[in-house]
Amino acid sequence: MYGWIWRHLPGSVWVRALISLVLVLAVVYVLFQYIFPWAEPLLPFNDVTVDNQ
Amino acid sequence: MAARTDHDERAGSQAGFTSFDDLPDGRRRMGWFAMTVSVFGELLITVGLVLGLFVVYSLWWTNVVADREAHKQGDKVRDHWAQAPTGPGALDTKDGIGFLHVPAMKNGEVLVQKGTATKVLNEGVAGYYTEPVKSSLPMTGKDGNFTLAAHRDGHGAKFHNIDKIVKGDPIVFETRDKWYVYKVFDILPETSKYNVKVLQTVPKESGKTKPGHYITLTTCTPVYTSRYRYVVWGELERVEKVDNARTPPKELRG
Repeated sequence: MYGWIWRHLPGSVWVRALISLVLVLAVVYVLFQYIFPWAEPLLPFNDVTVDNQ
Repeated sequence: MAARTDHDERAGSQAGFTSFDDLPDGRRRMGWFAMTVSVFGELLITVGLVLGLFVVYSLWWTNVVADREAHKQGDKVRDHWAQAPTGPGALDTKDGIGFLHVPAMKNGEVLVQKGTATKVLNEGVAGYYTEPVKSSLPMTGKDGNFTLAAHRDGHGAKFHNIDKIVKGDPIVFETRDKWYVYKVFDILPETSKYNVKVLQTVPKESGKTKPGHYITLTTCTPVYTSRYRYVVWGELERVEKVDNARTPPKELRG
């Protein structure tokens, strides 16, 4: 999977490494900004109030 | 060398997966089984990395975001206090009603806002309950229970050190005009998350039977989970007027 991506990136090894880094950062950004905030309330780690439900 | 490799691969990718037959670096095409195992393994590694990132997000990044937000809103409240004319009706509670100081938790001041919805608490503040039992507010001067909740971990983790509080410790609530000094008289280190009785006007579980000016802090316990709730009760000891220099009461000095 990752090998396949690597082979399909254009340019020399350094250019590919740079593109890979940008891709990784983009993925981390999307995770932190959108995916994790969405997933967090669905997980039972951070309910602090007492309630009836 | 590099240029030729690129060219070969581009030509190969146009032809589809068959290009794996003759990889330029001399490797042979993987069998389907090996390929499936390899992709599966990479997916597992990916899942592991994502879970690791989620921990980083929960315990670090949410604190960064929440503290930033809480500072901004706290500054806004202090600005309001500095500008607003004194007198009844001048109190604006939209951004927050005041600040909680608990020296035992060693985390400075905690902005207090209305409500305990996730959205409120995620901004790095403590919220006073509006449901299931409505909190009474100290500013009214009436008997009641000032009930608060805040995060134990992540999102500012304002009550992270709640277990450092011992009986007799002060809890100070600061409003524009007054310091409300409470003294901790009982702690419930573990209770069910459905135990809404701890929020009652007279919290009987703390041993109190008569109405009075109480404060209740709730958060989750043990750390990093939400299995139980941790509760700290305090009773109002005295109220001090805020002077021009906003000199804190002696509990917060030294």
